[in-house]
Amino acid sequence: MPGAIPGTMPRAMRQILRTPMTVIGLVLVLVHVAVALCAPWIIPYGPSQLAGMPFEPPGDRFMLGTDVLGRDYLSRLLMGGRITLTVALVGVLIAIVAGAFLGLCAAWFGGLTDEVIMRLVDTKVAIPSILLVGVLIPGFGQSVGVLIFVIALVYVAGVIRTVRAQALTIKPQSFVAASVLRGESSLSIMLREFLPNVADLLCVEFAIRMSSAILLVSSLSFLGLGISPPTPDWGLMVSEGVGYIHTDPWLVIYPSIALCTLVVGLNLATEGVANALGLDAARGMVKG
Amino acid sequence: MLLETTDLRIGYLDGARNMKLAVDGVSLALDSGQTLGIAGESGCGKSTLARALMAYTRPGSRIVGGQVRIGGQNILDLPEPGRRAIRGRKIAMVPQNPLSSLTFHMTIGAQIDEILRQHEGLSKAAARARSIALLEATAMPDPAAVHGRYPHELSGGQRQRVVIAAALACQPDILVLDEPTTALDKTTELKVLKLVSDLRDRFGTALIYISHDLNVIARVCERICIMRDGKMVEAGPTRATFAAPREAYTRMLLRAVPRTTDPSPVRPPTAHPAPGGPGAHPVLQVENLSYHYAAGGLALPFFPRRKGVLAVRDLSFSIRAGRTLGLVGESGSGKSTVAAVISGLLPPGGGTLRFCGTPLRAAASRRSTDLRRRIQMVFQDPLSSLNPRLSVGRILMRPLRIFFGMNPIDARAEAGRLLERFEMPVAMLDRFPRQLSGGQQQRVALARAFAARPDLIVCDEVTSALDVSVQDHVLDLLLSLQAETGTACLFISHDLGVIKRVSDDVIVLQSGEVRDAGPTDAVFATPRHAYTRLLLEAAGSVIEPIPGHAPVSPASQGTNRGDLHA
Repeated sequence: MPGAIPGTMPRAMRQILRTPMTVIGLVLVLVHVAVALCAPWIIPYGPSQLAGMPFEPPGDRFMLGTDVLGRDYLSRLLMGGRITLTVALVGVLIAIVAGAFLGLCAAWFGGLTDEVIMRLVDTKVAIPSILLVGVLIPGFGQSVGVLIFVIALVYVAGVIRTVRAQALTIKPQSFVAASVLRGESSLSIMLREFLPNVADLLCVEFAIRMSSAILLVSSLSFLGLGISPPTPDWGLMVSEGVGYIHTDPWLVIYPSIALCTLVVGLNLATEGVANALGLDAARGMVKG
Repeated sequence: MLLETTDLRIGYLDGARNMKLAVDGVSLALDSGQTLGIAGESGCGKSTLARALMAYTRPGSRIVGGQVRIGGQNILDLPEPGRRAIRGRKIAMVPQNPLSSLTFHMTIGAQIDEILRQHEGLSKAAARARSIALLEATAMPDPAAVHGRYPHELSGGQRQRVVIAAALACQPDILVLDEPTTALDKTTELKVLKLVSDLRDRFGTALIYISHDLNVIARVCERICIMRDGKMVEAGPTRATFAAPREAYTRMLLRAVPRTTDPSPVRPPTAHPAPGGPGAHPVLQVENLSYHYAAGGLALPFFPRRKGVLAVRDLSFSIRAGRTLGLVGESGSGKSTVAAVISGLLPPGGGTLRFCGTPLRAAASRRSTDLRRRIQMVFQDPLSSLNPRLSVGRILMRPLRIFFGMNPIDARAEAGRLLERFEMPVAMLDRFPRQLSGGQQQRVALARAFAARPDLIVCDEVTSALDVSVQDHVLDLLLSLQAETGTACLFISHDLGVIKRVSDDVIVLQSGEVRDAGPTDAVFATPRHAYTRLLLEAAGSVIEPIPGHAPVSPASQGTNRGDLHA
């Protein structure tokens, strides 16, 4: 049984605070979330407002300079994480909820249900994510809704596999037999007996998939498949600035740093928290 | 002196980073050809001590003081290569679980050959010849064939023989056996114990035998040490110690061992006898029960069907209210299948089951709620029968809410009363299963079953994971609850002593067939079948009754037995 003994949260808390990398990770994530939430009230100019001349270097009026159209780069940078974060968050949440449900169904019902769900998962895993996205987005049109759907689809397979594997170790235990003998319904058994035992796994799964999803959304925006201009977005900003990398490098550097700190922060925080809870997070980090 | 420890102390860091002593100042001595038993309940430090005799500790713990001298030399002073040279040659160990201590992807032969080639520098052919001879010495049937087999192809007893052969490979002076027969059936255990004694006589090896089972130690060892909380509380010659124990703890341990010579179940008198009185009407009648595990698999290409197995054949019995039927058998005898069919975990097979007159025709999910309430089951492993993520309160409240529709406040109050009835504080409602001891966990599991106010309770090996003193307490509670509520009980166990303590009647099962049946007293006194006699011999207590100690006080015995058998 993975997972810490319930009721020992204070010890996990102490261990988190003792590991500096975890604290750094948590601070980075918190700062990014706070900025994303408060951005509309703290930005000096509108994100799409043509406030100055194009390519103004960082200075007094524009702290981080202006972009190719003369928009304030600081304002765009502060606003640039909001859509990515939202899309990744909603997409991954859908993947977690659907994946938990399908994974528990596969483990609990077994037999044909298990075969159907798992063979579909195998099929999904056999198709490279970027190919799947490359077909789905031009096919369904480029919108936030489609993007969320695509993110959920990309991550749901992994969640199903992880949850099913964990649930299979719970299934033979006597407390499940006891609930069957009480006459509990399948849904009740899955929610009452299985879910609490996979909950911490789901939290770690969520955090790992989040950092991966943020990178995926940004890559799509960079490729022109994700968020469309003029919405400010880090991936999009990198792609707009990449042509001027020799003359005005800050156009690429600042959004890259923003993206980088968020993803690294998420990874550090996830690993630290997972270790403190006694979960094996390293497994999913490779692709992250 | 061949082996001597002086003031050995082994410490580990606990959760709060404090040094705790697992073994605290143990001194013992052993000469060649001698046998020493180390007994104690789980967590007393006996396995830690065994490892330390080979200068090894588990990760996280270390030897903090004292000496371990083999042939006069303190092996704790040796560097790691020196220690390695001693292990296997001077002192060897037979670990607890024979399956997990054999490497599953290597053949038996390869694993023993490896030891001989490493330590003795034998050639491949010479090593092979020696390991076959070793297997032969452990009375292994067809040793040359076993040499080429994999661990999973052998039975539990055979695996234990292999581990013993491997430990004897370099003819060590001292053999440490750590609970070598705990995972085995009683009849197999008897064979392994005999083998160990024979080997000692043949090779003159000194033995240290570690076990929680005083009976086993009494069979093999001349001297015994009793350990408690890392300290040695009593030591001396086995017979003398058992005949006249000095320490109260030793007396308590001896008293707690269930014996096949114990009197039949003694249920405490109650102020409110169960309605109808015990033995009034049959609660469960089983006629010609047979169960055949169906062939499995999807019968599609790449999903071959598995073969079916006949688990139980033609079993008939009945249990009356307030009485207990014991079902005895070794692993694979089909006793758990019977429990599963009656409780409804498995659909009924052949034959008829009647519960209070109404036939049981369906698995639990298709029975009525009231029927599910009236048949409750308690499982073997207490930890796995409680959801680790739910508090004790939520675990106990669930049956109350389902079966009696109680609101959360009433259910919690009732759960608190149940806990108190099972002699645990109400504050435990907010604890989680892993914060409880094994005995407490099993009492919570019993409380959950009795919460439903059942007419029949099916107990599947409920005490086999517990220490004897804890087992004693749990069995007492079960008997007193039964007297109070008039619940009938189907009690399944491999331990004849436990069966004798709780059951009025007994059925002996072997390979799904009934070997012996009848009142427990009669069956144990005059067993009809050879298998029953074999089981009784294996379970027979070699501990002499303690003088001046009657297992049950005469007064209560008289009244209760009179009531029950009137």
